[in-house]
Amino acid sequence: MNLHQKRQRTSFLIFLSFTVPALATILLSVEIPFLMSVIYSFTKWNGLDKIPEFIGLANYIEIFTNDPDALYALGFTLRMAAFTVVFTNIFALALAVFLDSDIRGKNALRVAFYIPNIISLIVIGYVWRFIFTKGFDSFYEMTGLGVFMFSWLGDKDLAFFSLVLVRVWQQLGFYLVIYIAGLQTVPKDLIEAATIDGASPVARFFRVTLPMIMPSITVAVFYSLSNGLKVFDVILSLTSGGPGNATMSIALDIYRTAFVTGRFGYGTAKSVVLFFVILVLTVFQVKVFKQREVEV
Amino acid sequence: MKRSRLSLAITVILTLIALIYLYPLFLIVINSLKTFAEITINAVALPQSPQFSNYVETFRLMKYPNLFMNTLIATGVGVFGVVLVSSMAGYKLSRTKTAYSWVMFIILIAPMMIPFHSFMIALVKVAKVLHLTGTPWGLGVMYWGLGAPLALFLYHGFVKSIPRDLDDCALIDGASPMRAFFQVILPLLQPVTVSVVVINAMWMWNDFLLPLLLLSGSKKALTLQLAAYNFFGQYKVEWHYAMAGVLLTIIPAVMIFLALQRHIIKGMIAGAVKT
Repeated sequence: MNLHQKRQRTSFLIFLSFTVPALATILLSVEIPFLMSVIYSFTKWNGLDKIPEFIGLANYIEIFTNDPDALYALGFTLRMAAFTVVFTNIFALALAVFLDSDIRGKNALRVAFYIPNIISLIVIGYVWRFIFTKGFDSFYEMTGLGVFMFSWLGDKDLAFFSLVLVRVWQQLGFYLVIYIAGLQTVPKDLIEAATIDGASPVARFFRVTLPMIMPSITVAVFYSLSNGLKVFDVILSLTSGGPGNATMSIALDIYRTAFVTGRFGYGTAKSVVLFFVILVLTVFQVKVFKQREVEV
Repeated sequence: MKRSRLSLAITVILTLIALIYLYPLFLIVINSLKTFAEITINAVALPQSPQFSNYVETFRLMKYPNLFMNTLIATGVGVFGVVLVSSMAGYKLSRTKTAYSWVMFIILIAPMMIPFHSFMIALVKVAKVLHLTGTPWGLGVMYWGLGAPLALFLYHGFVKSIPRDLDDCALIDGASPMRAFFQVILPLLQPVTVSVVVINAMWMWNDFLLPLLLLSGSKKALTLQLAAYNFFGQYKVEWHYAMAGVLLTIIPAVMIFLALQRHIIKGMIAGAVKT
């Protein structure tokens, strides 16, 4: 071995000593389990068998032809994600515009809107369960308004909107700060130039600001979409998927199929479907949104 | 003059919105201080005399100190491991411009595209085989690979802004590559480290699903969120305990947040916007 080869070998060994710890942990916690899931999805497996029985595409065929609950969960998750993405981003952006302007107390206000975001979703669900039951009872007694008598968790359409409301309430602060960061990158002279040209505040917002913060919108929509499709905790603590199965999300359905019903093989097939649903939708979203970003 | 009046009006309106926004949390605070009978009569009214005994009782019923320690161990072990493995790998991958380095980088950041729920069933199996279930230490270890891809990506981007000369200087002075990294480079990566710590600590502290999957069988190893879930299931009707339980669960995170809010918000954003 000559000197050059020797040096290359040493530098490769150093490279490995820096990267193998990360590789090992990532293989262990993500990549090996993911590959195992793909393999198990072609089997019938109760979680205990040493060697699961290979059944080909039977699990996938069952999901799409013989499991109305799973398809309902898919539809429910898509609907809920759509509503949370739209409301979260519109409200967050609107608030960000005001909180980015030159007003007093904006830092305190940002902190106030961020607070729900630091509370775990499982606890948030219980907070709102209290509000929707005990709190609303008292509001009704005080105001006599019929809305407070509705069964916000017991009716299947209302439960949907309750979940959207709670989810938007909890995560708004996070997206608010993303948008504020985005607004701060818009060059002041661009806004001034538009003002001198006689553009109204509304026109300035839609013609100048909005195109300039497209990258932030792409990121915020991507996060809210992918989190929306993974919704689990808040449903578990607010409605437990009910009434009936009306608010069952894909993630909750996967959990139940595997850990409650004991059909691990079938559960992994559902989880592979979830992987593709999220992958396809987020890649599509990012592609569409990126096309609208402008270069300065 | 007109401008400042408009700005004052906006402040007032936004403050009102913020108060309504946080009103649900205020309701939790006041109800956690009431007797059971008071909550049943009126959930909106203020407590007649604050019942701090609710907290004492809930603290005991939940076995709070044990839960706090478990959550702290899982979060501490998790954050430490993520910072360690991802800073090392992010640095080396950023400095090595070869084909194998590029392949390694792709393998290590690919998991950012894999949602947790799509592999959680098999993850439980892996954790069982490795005897990492049923203890907060094991939970912390399982977090390493889950948090590393994003953290590594952030370090990888930041290392480019640090002059290579610094590496060379340390090496010429006779330090080993590892020592040069830990003594010279890692301190310079501090802005990213702050982000990585914030993002991961907030997530691990509040995480519910992975503790549910790995710890729910063993009573002694529960984390705060997991115990809160069990506790609310058990005390469905006794709202005064449930509400005190909510506050005991969220107080540590809220206090840390209020103390460090600038760093936390900045850290979360740096993590979100870079990817």
